[in-house]
Amino acid sequence: MKKENKLLSFLRDNTVPIMFVVICAVCIPISGFSASYLMNEIVTRMGRNIFLILALLIPIMSGMGLNFGMTLGAMAGEIALIFVSDWQIWGIPGVVLAMILSIPISVLLGAFCGKILNMAKGREMITSYIISFFMNGIYQLIVLYMMGSIIPIKHFSVKLPRGYGIRNTVSLLNMRQCLDNLLAVRVAGVKIPVLTFLIIALLCLFIVWFRKTKLGQDMRAVGQDMNVARDAGINVERTRIISIVMSTVLAGFGMVIYLQNMGNIATYSSHSQIGMFCIAALLVGGASVDKASIGNVFLGVILFHTMFIVAPKAGAQITGDSMIGEYFRVFVSYAVITLALIMYETKKRKRKSLVAQQLQQEQEEASGT
Amino acid sequence: MKNTRRLLFRTAAVLLLVAIAACMMVVGRGHTVYIDNKTLEYEGASYPAPYRATVYVKGERLSTLAARERGMSTVIGQRFSMTLELIEEKGQDPKTVEISLKLPYSMDGVILNIPGYLAGLPQEAWMSEFVSTPSEAEMQEEAPGAEEDILAGAEF
Repeated sequence: MKKENKLLSFLRDNTVPIMFVVICAVCIPISGFSASYLMNEIVTRMGRNIFLILALLIPIMSGMGLNFGMTLGAMAGEIALIFVSDWQIWGIPGVVLAMILSIPISVLLGAFCGKILNMAKGREMITSYIISFFMNGIYQLIVLYMMGSIIPIKHFSVKLPRGYGIRNTVSLLNMRQCLDNLLAVRVAGVKIPVLTFLIIALLCLFIVWFRKTKLGQDMRAVGQDMNVARDAGINVERTRIISIVMSTVLAGFGMVIYLQNMGNIATYSSHSQIGMFCIAALLVGGASVDKASIGNVFLGVILFHTMFIVAPKAGAQITGDSMIGEYFRVFVSYAVITLALIMYETKKRKRKSLVAQQLQQEQEEASGT
Repeated sequence: MKNTRRLLFRTAAVLLLVAIAACMMVVGRGHTVYIDNKTLEYEGASYPAPYRATVYVKGERLSTLAARERGMSTVIGQRFSMTLELIEEKGQDPKTVEISLKLPYSMDGVILNIPGYLAGLPQEAWMSEFVSTPSEAEMQEEAPGAEEDILAGAEF
């Protein structure tokens, strides 16, 4: 009986990852991809995406849910890369410079986002989602009209021929995969981007260490109960702002790593769905709105991207139309977020009703004696 | 006291980042170097191009240039070194010349004229800026106007 309960609760707690394992298990043989191709793709995508997804962990720790506002950091990273491209700084120095340049922009945007989220406590996710849309408008105003006219941009490969505004695609050919190729090793035909993984490992270590610091403990306290944390003398608002600023700065770095791997910036769309896909990947790894770990990030990236790689081909094999697979993977991204949010809300309500039942029982017992 | 210390640390951190950024701007500046094996006319004198020039950059053969040909290399930083294997006239033995020079920070594309450099002429004679002309497609690119251009999802 106990074993059955354990199994049931395990299944209930890991519905999303199990669902994805099943999807992948079905799709991989149908797609017909070789193991080495799949491994290569997954490892490349791990290097490309994990840093970005790790940026989501800190706001979850401080109880602010899934930070859809990470798009702001992605925009900061893109703006920094546009400048670096214009100044023709290539290779690793270009990546480092872009990361440094993204910091002040990310801090400003993160502080702004954090302040607004403090005004919308309990509704952080939807608020950050809308902030990202609002900021997208500002970003486009700056990139499309101010760059080249007010903000100096000279290089013809970056600037639109009309004299202001940035081209739809900015080439990062001179820094393409410079991080991934440095120290890269090949194991059984699979390219391992060692330096990128080292950077990711450093961030993981930082997160583990940060949880134990005073600020990390404060964030966890704020995440568990804001009122208790406030009574304990923690400056709740400041702590929440810091967590969003940290997440935004890390997202900026992550975007630089992501784009150096891609080798170009889709100026007006690179950032638009990055938050959505990162959050979906994290949820696929078994995270929830109030709980996420580094393990969830890795598992999520592997499962989500395996599905991303095999779905179009599997769709083409089954239906003869690869677009079905494309639609399927986009549909699944949104569906998994919806499912995770519903499950989170259901669990929260169940917990509340359980507490209410216990209280009622205690009252009945007290009145009975 | 605590506030002063915090301010000092923050200032030091900002200064450190600015210093690293400045270093990156210098060491990471990329240049495209065009190596011309073309006869140079300078102040009334003519400096003929060698029959064949083989260019090696970082030990790897970049290209073999006949007279009137151009080779291209990219370099990160302001120092550019190459080894030239020159055959002045057809049938002659090749001679090797090591060249190391400083590229101007402001130039994206730099044209180096081999005969001018070998003749020991002043820098303005053998070094000039390459100004690239945008292609037809690049000149016709327009700003994204349609909503789908801006809101389209990117590859993930």
